Amino acid sequence: MSETLKALSNGLADVVETVSNSLVRVNGRRRLSATGFAWNDDGVIITAHHVVRRDEGITVGLPNGDTVPATMIGRAQNADVAVLKVDGDLHASTHPKSDDPLRVGNLVLALGRPRNTPQATLGVVSAIGSRRMEGTIQTDVVMYPGFSGGPLVDASGQVRGMNTSGFSRGASIAIANSYLTNIVDTLLEHGKMRQGYLGVGAQPVRLPEALAEEIGQETGLMLASVESDSPADGALLLGDIVISLDDDPTPTLDALLSLLGGNRVGTEVAVKVVRGGQIETVAVTIGEKS
Amino acid sequence: MNSLLQTLSDDLAQVAERIQPALVQITDGKSSIGSGTIWHKDGLIVTNAHVIVERARRWRGRFGQIQRSQRKMRDVYVVLSDGRQFDVNVLAVDEDNDLAALAIDAQDLPTITVGDSHAVKAGHWVMAMGHPWGVVDSITGGVVIGAADDLPEMRTGREWLALNLRLRPGHSGGPLVNIDGELIGVNTMITGPEVGFAIPAHTVKAFMKKALGEPVSDVVVV
Repeated sequence: MSETLKALSNGLADVVETVSNSLVRVNGRRRLSATGFAWNDDGVIITAHHVVRRDEGITVGLPNGDTVPATMIGRAQNADVAVLKVDGDLHASTHPKSDDPLRVGNLVLALGRPRNTPQATLGVVSAIGSRRMEGTIQTDVVMYPGFSGGPLVDASGQVRGMNTSGFSRGASIAIANSYLTNIVDTLLEHGKMRQGYLGVGAQPVRLPEALAEEIGQETGLMLASVESDSPADGALLLGDIVISLDDDPTPTLDALLSLLGGNRVGTEVAVKVVRGGQIETVAVTIGEKS
Repeated sequence: MNSLLQTLSDDLAQVAERIQPALVQITDGKSSIGSGTIWHKDGLIVTNAHVIVERARRWRGRFGQIQRSQRKMRDVYVVLSDGRQFDVNVLAVDEDNDLAALAIDAQDLPTITVGDSHAVKAGHWVMAMGHPWGVVDSITGGVVIGAADDLPEMRTGREWLALNLRLRPGHSGGPLVNIDGELIGVNTMITGPEVGFAIPAHTVKAFMKKALGEPVSDVVVV
């Protein structure tokens, strides 16, 4: 027999062993413990929001067997991510966090530590999330009980995201690194996720044909309301059709929402609107959604 | 790239071919009810207790104690991979460990080398063979999820190999092998469509020693 199968089997077990150095058990709910993993060498741990049911009295089981108290840094509920911090000897250096694109069909492992020993399941990348699922990786790895919050690891032992069963039964979803980075950075800085705020009610409308051809965009967002004392108040008017934010087109509400990330809070953006048939540019300072 | 996958595919098929002769069918004449693994060349076969013991009825007594009806051995016989059929002599049954030792009147049977189940780690590739739903000599592959006696869903206090593969009714009693084709467990149960459990080979060894006395490898009186 050739060495290929042996190389595969040992390769997988080696990956588990290497990454398990940064794999922790998260005790944050009554029933079963779940999994988390070290994000950096400063004790920052990523886990799933839905497995940490309390903000106080959370403990983390380290790879060396010690159990240490952890503090809650913050939660990103929409992404089912929670960030914890521990004082303990915990290193993430063993798993460089890669951003090279994963491809559909790539082998991936889901790792978990609901008990003391590391556990693993194997699968393939089923789909890379796009549009509304942007920032997620769909796989067919089995989410064994307590695996939520654990890392999705590629064949070279690099962490590619955080697994969670919090979104659906059946398909396993992982939050990709690029997305996690934003979340962790925001939570470490602000303790909560921030969302930009304009203060308008809007609905998509079809643009007049001539205009649509001119700007190469078929729809825009017509303002149905403008909240008083909001960032939009005084700048945007009822009936304006918003077509772009800083030249990023806003043909749908999803497009507008994705442009109102936490990083835009407090910044001035150029809002392009159709007002009285003419295209005008208005400056608006994005507020923070409370 | 293609040749690598080809090699991998050939390797998997080779392991399957190697262990297939040591896999037996346990049948009650009407249908295949489980699998068995030849443990010794002179007719010693290991399988799950639940394959050969009619499910005992359990109920709570007046004071909450568990009562069991008289267990009953199923009237089974064994079909070897070469098609020969044999009556079965049940040597030992351990319902707590879900293991049973059977003897058939045959010599020089193919066996599977027993591997080191203590060396099994999360991520290792393994394959399980059996007769799921009566489909003869079917194989399924996957990785070891973990090996422990405190798995979240198996609080039995006993050691299990948790497996990320698709066991089905009929796989019970069949061999779980590593990539070298060595026996590392006996397929026993499932808790989900893609999570199976096997009794580790060292537990089987201990059962055989206890049931049959040492040395296991010698002839068993039938």
